[in-house]
Amino acid sequence: MKNTKDKKLKLPKMEGFISALICIVCGILVGFVILLLLAAFTPSIPVGEALSGLGIILGGPFASGSGADVMTAIGTMFFEATPLIMTGLSVALAFKNGLFNIGAPGQYLMGTAASIITALSIPTGGSAFAGFIVWIAAILAGTVAGVIWGMIPGFFKAFLGVNEVIVCIMTNWIAANLVSWIFKGSRYLNVASGHTAYTLKTSVNGVAAPKLGLDKIFPGSNIDISIFIAIAMAVVLYIVINRTTFGYELKACGSNRDAAKYAGMNVKRNIMLSMMISGGLAAMGASFFYLNGNIEFAWETYSSLPDTGFNGIPVALLAGSDPIGVVFSSVFLRYLGKGGYNLAGYTGFNEYVSDLIVAVIIYFAGFANFIRSYFPEVGAFFRRIIAGKGKKDADTAETLTAKGGENR
Amino acid sequence: MRNITKRFPGIVANDNITLRLRRGEIHALLGENGAGKSTLMSVLFGLYKAEEGKIYKDGKEVEIKNPNDATALGIGMVHQHFKLVEVFSVLDNIILGAEETKFGFLSKKAARKRVVELSEKYGLAVDPDAKIEDITVGMQQRVEILKMLYRDNEVLIFDEPTAVLTPQEIDELMIIMKNLASEGKSILFISHKLNEIKAVSDRCSILRKGKYIGTVDTDKVTKEELSSMMVGREVKFAVDKADANPGKTVLEIRNMTVPSKIRKRDAVHDVSLEVRAGEIVCIAGIDGNGQTDFVYGLTGLAPVSGGTLLLNGKDITSASVRQRMTGGMSHIPEDRHKHGLVLDYTVEQNMVLQRYFEPEFSDHGFIRFNEVRKYSDSLINEYDVRSGRGSLTAARAMSGGNQQKAIVAREMDRKHDLLIAVQPTRGLDVGAIEAIHKRIVAQRDVGCAVLLVSLELDEVMNLSDRILVMYEGELVGELNPKTVSVEELGLYMAGAKRDNMKRGEDKT
Ligand SMILES: Nc1ncnc2c1ncn2[C@@H]1O[C@H](COP(=O)(O)OP(=O)(O)OP(=O)(O)O)[C@@H](O)[C@H]1O
Ligand SMILES: [Mg+2]
Repeated sequence: MKNTKDKKLKLPKMEGFISALICIVCGILVGFVILLLLAAFTPSIPVGEALSGLGIILGGPFASGSGADVMTAIGTMFFEATPLIMTGLSVALAFKNGLFNIGAPGQYLMGTAASIITALSIPTGGSAFAGFIVWIAAILAGTVAGVIWGMIPGFFKAFLGVNEVIVCIMTNWIAANLVSWIFKGSRYLNVASGHTAYTLKTSVNGVAAPKLGLDKIFPGSNIDISIFIAIAMAVVLYIVINRTTFGYELKACGSNRDAAKYAGMNVKRNIMLSMMISGGLAAMGASFFYLNGNIEFAWETYSSLPDTGFNGIPVALLAGSDPIGVVFSSVFLRYLGKGGYNLAGYTGFNEYVSDLIVAVIIYFAGFANFIRSYFPEVGAFFRRIIAGKGKKDADTAETLTAKGGENR
Repeated sequence: MRNITKRFPGIVANDNITLRLRRGEIHALLGENGAGKSTLMSVLFGLYKAEEGKIYKDGKEVEIKNPNDATALGIGMVHQHFKLVEVFSVLDNIILGAEETKFGFLSKKAARKRVVELSEKYGLAVDPDAKIEDITVGMQQRVEILKMLYRDNEVLIFDEPTAVLTPQEIDELMIIMKNLASEGKSILFISHKLNEIKAVSDRCSILRKGKYIGTVDTDKVTKEELSSMMVGREVKFAVDKADANPGKTVLEIRNMTVPSKIRKRDAVHDVSLEVRAGEIVCIAGIDGNGQTDFVYGLTGLAPVSGGTLLLNGKDITSASVRQRMTGGMSHIPEDRHKHGLVLDYTVEQNMVLQRYFEPEFSDHGFIRFNEVRKYSDSLINEYDVRSGRGSLTAARAMSGGNQQKAIVAREMDRKHDLLIAVQPTRGLDVGAIEAIHKRIVAQRDVGCAVLLVSLELDEVMNLSDRILVMYEGELVGELNPKTVSVEELGLYMAGAKRDNMKRGEDKT
C-alpha cells in the first residue's frame, strides 16, 4: 500500500523533470545553431567562437574567471533568483487555479514602491534592532500592496466575469505610471549624489536584509537571507497546494469550475483569494530585492515594466507550476543569465543570446505539452526510459494516454 | 480487426479481440461498463495504439497510427460527446480539417453544395449556417455524421450515440443509420440499450471484461439472451418494489420560476411540488423542457427568480450549494463531465468532492489522505466501480459508465434526506442499471425522499411512485405509474394533454 502511495507522489514529478530536461536540451541545441549562424554572419566573430560561446553560457557563473569571481557570480545568481522565485510562485499558484497572472509585473512594482517608501520613511535612529523591525514592516507593506493589486483583477474576474489577462495588463500600466508619479520629485530620490533617476538605497535609513554571513562566502555579491525565505515560501506553498483542503479547492476550481460550483465550493472566493495571494507573492519578491540595502530603484517606470515580473511566467511554465520546481527553474534561468553576461564579456556575442536561448527553452516547454498530448507514442517512449526497461507498461503511461482520448 | 490487445495500467482493456465488420452491415458492440468497447473503437480510429493485433481493411493489413490515418482509410467516428467548435457554423465545422481551397482561399461554395446534397440524400436535416451552440444535441450529432460523410468515410463508428438523444431523435437516428447501411456503408454501433440493438443491428458482438465472448445474428436472439451473454447472469428488467409508504414532506417547492439564459420566457415557470420521505417522484418529459434549469434552480447552481424552496421545512431558496448539501441534499448531476467529476483528479479525490473539509477527511485544514483512501476504497468495493488502479485511477481514465457509477456511489453514500437523481443510469449497462435501480428503491425504503429526473420512459414507469410531467417549463400532469399507459404519458410529454396543476393563488 505504502509503495503505491510513493509511486503516486513520485512519478508525475519525474515526468515533469524529464520533460523540462528535454526542453532545456533542445533549447540549448537551437541556441548553439543560433550562435553558429551569428558567428557565420558577423565578420568580427570567428566561427569557432560559437562553441566556446556555448561553453560560456552553459558554464553560467562558473565561467566567470578566477575563483573569487566565480563565488561573486554564484552569490549574484542566487540573489537575482530570489525575486524570480517569488514571481514564479505567483504565476504558478494562479495557474493552479486556472488563472493567468500576467499582472505580476504590476504587483511587483507596487511591492517595490510600498516597501521602499516604508523602509525610508520610518525613522530607525540608527538602531540595528529598529532597522530589522522596519525591514520586516517594509516586506509586509510591499506584500500588502501586491495583495491589493492582485485583488483588482481577481475582483473583476470573479464578480464581473472580465478576463483576468485584460485587467492584469491594465493594472500593470496603472502601476507603472502610479509608481513614477509617486516618486517623481519625492524625498526618496538620490538627489545628494545627483543620481535622481534612482531612489535612495534603503540602507541609508539603516534598513537592509540580514546577510547571515553570506557576504563572506560570496564576497562582492548582494546575496542575503531572502533567498532562504523565498525557498521556504516555495515549500510552504507546495504543502498548501498538495496537502490542504485549500489547495484541494484551488486545484478543483482551476481544473473544472462547474464541478467546483456543483461541489459547493465558493468559486468566486477562490478566484479572489488566489489572485490576492499571487499578488502578494510577486510583491514580496520585490521587497526581497529592493530591501537588500544595496539596490537602487530606477523609478521612471512609466515606459517599461520589470522583467522579473514577466519572467515569473516562463519560470512557472518550465516548472510545470510546481512550487519546488519553481525554485530550480528560477535559479536555472539566472544561471543562464550569468552565462549570457559572461558571453558578452569574453566573446564578440552580446548577452542577449542567453535570453534567446531561454526563450527557445520556453517554446519547447509549450511544445513538450503539445507533443505529450498529440503524439502519445513519443511520450510513452520517454516514459519507458524513465521507468526502466523492465516495466514495459510503465504506470505513468496512464496520465499520458488519458490525455489522448477522453472517456465519456 | 484481429487479435487486438490493449493494456492500460492495471488492466487489460482489450484481450485478444477479433472483430469482423462486413460491408453494408450495422454491427453492434455490447458489453458491460468498462468491458473495453470504447477502447477497441479508439484503437480502430487511431486514438490508441494496440500492443498486439492487426487491423485489416478490404483484406489488406493497414496501420492506423492516428486519426488522420483512419480518415485516410475512410474510417470515421462520432464520439459520445461531440467534438465540434461551438462558435463555428455547421458548415465550417463539417469542412474543418478537410477544407478545399482555391489560391489559398477557402472555397465554401462547392463545400456548401456537397453538404446540402449529402444532407438531402441521407435525410440529415441541418441548417448549414446555424451556429453549433444554438442547435440541439440531436442536430449536433447530425453534423458529426455529415462530417464523416463529407470525408467519404465508409466505416462509421458510433460510440453510444443515443445516450444523449430524445426518443424521437433516437428513432430518426435509427432510420439514418439504416439508410447509410443500405448505401453500402459499414457501421459499428455501441449502445447499452438492447431495444436499439435489436431494432437496428444485423449482428452483435459481445465483450466482457476485455474479452471477446461471441458474435450473434441479432434477429436470432432475445434481449434476455443478449444481456446474459454480456453480464454472465440473468438480468431482471422490471424493478421489484413494494408500495411506497410516504412519510413527512422533505422537499416542498412553491411556485418556483427559473429564468432562461437564452430565451425571453422563463425556462421553468411556476412549478410547485412536494416530495415526501419514502417515495420516488419522477419528473418526466422530453429533453429540453426545462428539466435542466429546474434542477439547477433546485440545487443552487442557478438562481431562481421566484418562489420558495423548503428542505426539511427550512427555507433554502437563497441558500448556497454547500448549505443545501449539508442540509440534506444529494445530487446526481445530468452532465457527469461538466459537474459530476473533476476529471484531472483521481477517483479518491472525486469521492470526497463535497466532503473534503469535513472532520472525517481533514484535520486543521490538512487533508487526511489515509482516511480518504479508505473511504474511497470502500465505495469502490460496494458499488463495483471498475478501473485500472482503483482509488488512484484518474477519473479521466475510467470508462464512461464507471465514471457514472463513481458519482452515484458518492451521492448515495453521503448523508442525505433528499436524493435528486438526474438521468442516474445514463450510459450504464443493464446489469449496472439493475443494481442502481435496486439501490434507489432501497434508499426510498429507508425513508429517503427521491426526486428522479429521467428521459427514459422505462425508467420512469418502473421506478417511480408518482410521475410529474414537465412540458415547456411547467408541470402539466400528475400521473400514477400503476394506472397510466405509456401512450397517455407520451401525450402529456408531447404537450397534447394537460391537467390544471395550479395550486395556491392563481397568477396572471
Ligand atoms: N486512458 C485510459 N487510461 C487507463 N485506463 C483506461 C483508459 N481508458 C480506458 N481505460 C480502462 O480500460 C477499461 C475499458 O474502458 P472502455 O472505456 O473501453 O470501456 P467501455 O466498454 O467503453 O465502457 P462504458 O460502457 O462504461 O463506456 C476500463 O476499465 C477503463 O478503466
Ligand atoms: Mg465507453
